[in-house]
Parts: sequence; structure tokens; C-alpha cells
Amino acid sequence: MTGSGAASRDNGGDNGMKGQIARALTEATGLLRGPQRVVPLIRKLVSDKLRIAFEQRHLYSYTTTRRASGDALNLLLRWILDAQRPDGGIAAYYSLLTGYSESYPEVTGYIVPTLFDIARAAGDDGAAVAAKRATRWLLSLQMPTGAFPGGLHGGEAQPSVFNTGQILQGLVRAHRETNRPEILQAAVAAGNWLVNRQQADGSWAGPGAYQDVAHTYYSMVAWALAELSERTADHHDHGVGYGRAAERNLDWVLSHVRPSGWIDGINLRGHPNYLHFIAYALQGVLECAILRRRSDAIQVVAKSAWVLLRKFETNKWLLGAYEPDFKGGRRFTCLTGNAQMSCVWLRLFEVTDDLRYLNAALKMNEMLKQLIPARGRRGIAGGVSGSYPVWGRYQPLRYISWGCKFFADALLLEQRLTRSFAASAPEALPCAS
Amino acid sequence: MRIVVLCSSVHSETACAMAVRVAELGYVPAGALALPTLDRGTLRRKLGQWGLRDVARYARAKLIPRHGDGQARVINHYLQPLLKHADGVFRSLREAAALYGFPVAVCKDQNAPDSIAHLKEWSPDLIIFTGGNILRKQLLDVPRLGVLNVHLGLLPEIRGMSSPEWSLLNHVPVGITVHYMDAGIDTGPVLQRCEFPEAARCESLSDLRNRLVAFGVEKVGEVVAGLDHGTISATQQSDLDKDNQFFVMHEWLQARAAERLTKSRLATLAGTVNG
Repeated sequence: MTGSGAASRDNGGDNGMKGQIARALTEATGLLRGPQRVVPLIRKLVSDKLRIAFEQRHLYSYTTTRRASGDALNLLLRWILDAQRPDGGIAAYYSLLTGYSESYPEVTGYIVPTLFDIARAAGDDGAAVAAKRATRWLLSLQMPTGAFPGGLHGGEAQPSVFNTGQILQGLVRAHRETNRPEILQAAVAAGNWLVNRQQADGSWAGPGAYQDVAHTYYSMVAWALAELSERTADHHDHGVGYGRAAERNLDWVLSHVRPSGWIDGINLRGHPNYLHFIAYALQGVLECAILRRRSDAIQVVAKSAWVLLRKFETNKWLLGAYEPDFKGGRRFTCLTGNAQMSCVWLRLFEVTDDLRYLNAALKMNEMLKQLIPARGRRGIAGGVSGSYPVWGRYQPLRYISWGCKFFADALLLEQRLTRSFAASAPEALPCAS
Repeated sequence: MRIVVLCSSVHSETACAMAVRVAELGYVPAGALALPTLDRGTLRRKLGQWGLRDVARYARAKLIPRHGDGQARVINHYLQPLLKHADGVFRSLREAAALYGFPVAVCKDQNAPDSIAHLKEWSPDLIIFTGGNILRKQLLDVPRLGVLNVHLGLLPEIRGMSSPEWSLLNHVPVGITVHYMDAGIDTGPVLQRCEFPEAARCESLSDLRNRLVAFGVEKVGEVVAGLDHGTISATQQSDLDKDNQFFVMHEWLQARAAERLTKSRLATLAGTVNG
């Protein structure tokens, strides 16, 4: 599960505790094993400290472009390509203490569409080659049931609903790009497993679900099923009802929405409601709703996204984690969550034509562009840190691959939508009536 | 009618023009309350907002007195007719105050208790807001009629920031609204709502803004006279439940708004030539 300590937290009980202790020790001794990381670590800590001490966020923050989106996209792509391990998987993160992690199946899965999008937008063959390598590696990980394992590669392989859904995103896209039958076969097997594991109420709970409980941010899984439904309808009707399963989950998530726009049921025991997961829930519902033509669900997302937009426009930043009803939260920034909100706002602009969503996303992207290091060693340059400042609670002292993925998605969406908006001819003024 | 002008600085051209406009109509302000031109907080805020180079220009403009006949120094030249006087151009609200005989006070916070006390001493019927702090209820309750604001957009369609630009992009006629302020953002009762017929003749967004400010000053004069003669009354805004608030516009969208303005100007020019 991206953002929740990757692999080991999927293992419960004593194993989980032992794993956490082992990870803490590994992190703590990381600098002894890699002393070359000391200087970059100190540099990052000092620069973030200075920045938060002197930077004044104000009404006009982020209204001007200081770095071209294309340049930022190139930096992100370089970071992702550098993070691709020899096996073809993408590392979960680059830690300022321990360096690159092992390959991470979940992110490798849903970074595939991003790589294909970059390849198409920038004409970068390297991105397409990386996406195909990643897909080959993913196919090698699939379990006989059709599920994919949770956690980092090399750990104990347990089937995971969320990771299977996220990887399904990548498989569907890879099939669209390559038309290779074994990819569709793997996608269908994953989809079948997800449908079979779904509860009667539309949620996913029990074994395979994180901490064995249902989560509303599994709407991302519903989105993947809706994608599979679209894709398989091109070929033949499998009779499994991926689309119906996606909508069942959509209805279950919508039943958890409060009048304030807050979505209950993120359900991460022992963790705050990180913006990353709030945005997951919104993104999953929105994309699923667009594919299934569910305007009621789009309106629900628009309401929640508007609450966050007002907070961003008023305060110039979003908190890293929120209390229910968006009342207060943790005072750090979750950059991945910000990039996801930019994606949500851009898609809402696309479906509603409300330019305020585009405006907020443009500013959010400016903010994120300013926080990407243009220089530095491999793993740092072009990276998106888990938190800003880097010692914030969400993925501290790490540059994370899913942060790069979501920010690249946001920039790609920005490019596409601004181009099409600029191309639409302006009309004469309606004044002087 | 006792009027007080609130402004962000004694050097505010808009405030100066506004005071002159109402004074010329026979309503010499009972006083004006300004924020300090250069205090540490303002400088720090502007440093973050504009950057060092523009803040240096701003500081120089505020600190070094304007010389010569002053005419070339007027930033918004659409206000020049109001700022002009026998000896040149008003360089600050203090100069206008000296000519028309009203006091100018400077405070760090317009909502502070001593500022409120100062305002109460002037016992205004109406306060005209031209800039400064976000006003709190204690201040809004001081004048008998209310606090007047000129919003550079038509209410209730366009509330909040970058209103002319948002009007251009959202196919809403460009205009101004004179309204009473309340605790919300541009949600108070409307006194006058005027479309701006010259928008399609504007050369740029800053030209449009300057013209709208001058248009607003003009209209405030009409509203003040109308209130005094009982010919104007306020109307509650409709759509209060609808979120029509807009925020500061990103420069990319501003460029699109400017394109729209240019296209309209060219169409107007073509119409003039053909006509």
C-alpha cells in the first residue's frame, strides 16, 4: 500500500512488530553503511529548515511560473527511470538514510500508465521501454489465484486487494498499448480474483485487505475494475461484471460521505488520515464515476474537492493529514496528496468546465515544481519527498516513487487541458449589453 | 452625511480620488483612517509577494517625494481629473485633506480598539473602504448606514479576487458593484451594479483595472448622493447559497483573459473602421 510503510505493514501481529523493529534498525544504521549519504541528508535538512523559516506564503504565491512544466516533467521521468531496478520493478523510494528500496509491485503497476503517457506526450521511447519492462516483471509476480502480492519485492508474498487493483491499472493500460494477449489474460485473472473477494456490500474486507478491514480509499480498486470493464468490452463479455462490481464499491463509498464532504472509512489504524488517502478515495470515486457515467458520484467528489480547494486558496497549502470533516490536522505537507488533488481538480475542470479547478491546479503544480530539487545525486534530483519539510510524518526522509508518479500525472493533465483550452478560440466580450 | 474614508496608505491614489470626489459633491469627509505606508509587516508581506526588486521600487516610490508638476507621476491616469488641482496633482491623501480640511489618522490595524474609538469620534454615517485590513464586525457596526466597497465585478456572479479577469473568462459582463460590506466576502447588500461599457476598448488588463477603478470612484459619488437624497436603497444579494467566490488568478489564465480582451478590442476597432 503506497504511503503506509510499504511492505511489512501488510503483515499483522508479531511478524509485523518484528518487521517494524528490523526496519527501524536498518534505517538507523543506514548512514553507517552509506556515509556518502550524510552530506545530501544534512543539505536537505538545512534547506527545508531555512525554507520554512523564511518563506512567506501569501495571496500571490504560486501564481507565476518559475519553472516550465516540461522541464519538471523531464526531471520526474529521469527520477523514475533511475529508480527502475535491474528486475524491471520500480523502487518504492530513495531514502536519505538507506538509499533505494527494493522494487515495489504496487507502484510499478500504476506507474505503467504514467510512463506510457509520458512516452506519448514527450515522444520519449525510453519511457515506453521502461513501461514494457515493468509489465514483464509484474506478470512474473502474479499468483495462481490471479492476485498480486502486497509489500516490497522479496518479502513474504501475501495476496493484496489494493495492490492487485493498482497493478490492474497498469496491466489494462499495457494491454491497450501492446495488445499482447498474455497481459489481458493476467488482467482478467486479477479482475476475477477481485470480484470474487468483494463483500456483498461492495467493500473489500478480511484477508487481503489492509489490517483486514474495509477502506473507502479502495475506490482506486473500483476504478481499476471499471477500466477493465471498458477494456474487455472491446473484446468479449466475460460475464463477470467488472463494471457492476466497480459500481457496487462506488455505492458503498458514497454511503460513507458526510454532508461536509468528508469521506469516512479510511480506517488506517494507528495512522492519521493522510491527504494521500483522502485524495485516493476522491480520485478513485471520480475516475470510476466518469467511466461509469455516474454524475451523482461526480457531484459528491466535486463537493469534497471544493472544500480542499478553498483551504488551499485561503491558506496557500493543504495539511498533510486531516481530522474528520476537514477540521484541523497535522501541520506538514504531504506532497503526494497535493499532486493527487491537482489531478482531481484538473479532471473536475475537464468534466465541469469550472475554471477555478484549473486555476487551483496550476497553482498547486507551481508549488510542487518549486519543491523538486533540480540538482543532486541519483535518487534526489527530480524526486518528490514524502513530506515537506522532509522530516514530516508522511514517509519522512524519503523521495517516493508514487509522489513522482502522481505529480507527473498532474503535469501531463495540465499540459493536455491547457493546450485544449488555449486552442479554443476566445469569443467577443459580452459587456455593454 | 458624515463620511470617513478607510485606506491602505495615505499615498493611495484611489483613496485620494475618492475623498476628492465626495468632497466635490459637497460631502467633505469627516476623516480618513490609513494604514502606515511602510511598516515592517507590510514590507515583509510584499517581499514575499513581489520579490526584492519590486519591493525596492515600491519603497522608493513611497519614500521619495514626487517632483515637477506631478502629472507624470499619477499611476492610474484615469484618476488624474480628480487628483489634479490648481498647483498640480495631489501626491497624498494628506495634501487633499489639507485643501478640503479633514483630518487624516494613521493606525497599524483598522480593527484595533483605538482605531474603532477614533472612528466613533468621527461618528460617521457612512464609511468608504478603499483598502486595508479585512474588516471585523466591530468596525462594520460603527457607521449608521454601513461600510461601502467598490467591487470590480458584478455581484453576485463574481465574488472575490481577480474579478475583471474572471469576468472575461466566464462570459460575465465586466463591471463594478457598489455594495455594503458584511462579514462575508462580497456578500453584502448591493447599492449599485453597473456594467462597464468601455471594456472592449481597453488595451490591457491593467488598463481595464485602472478604468474600472476610476469608473467605481465615479459611481460611489452617485451612490453617496443617492443615499443622502433617499433615491438609492440596498438590495440583498441573491444566490448567497451559491459559492461564487473566485481566487487570485494564475498568470497562465490571466494571459488567456488578456487574449480575450485583445480580441474584443480588435473587433471593436474593426467595427469602428467598417462603420
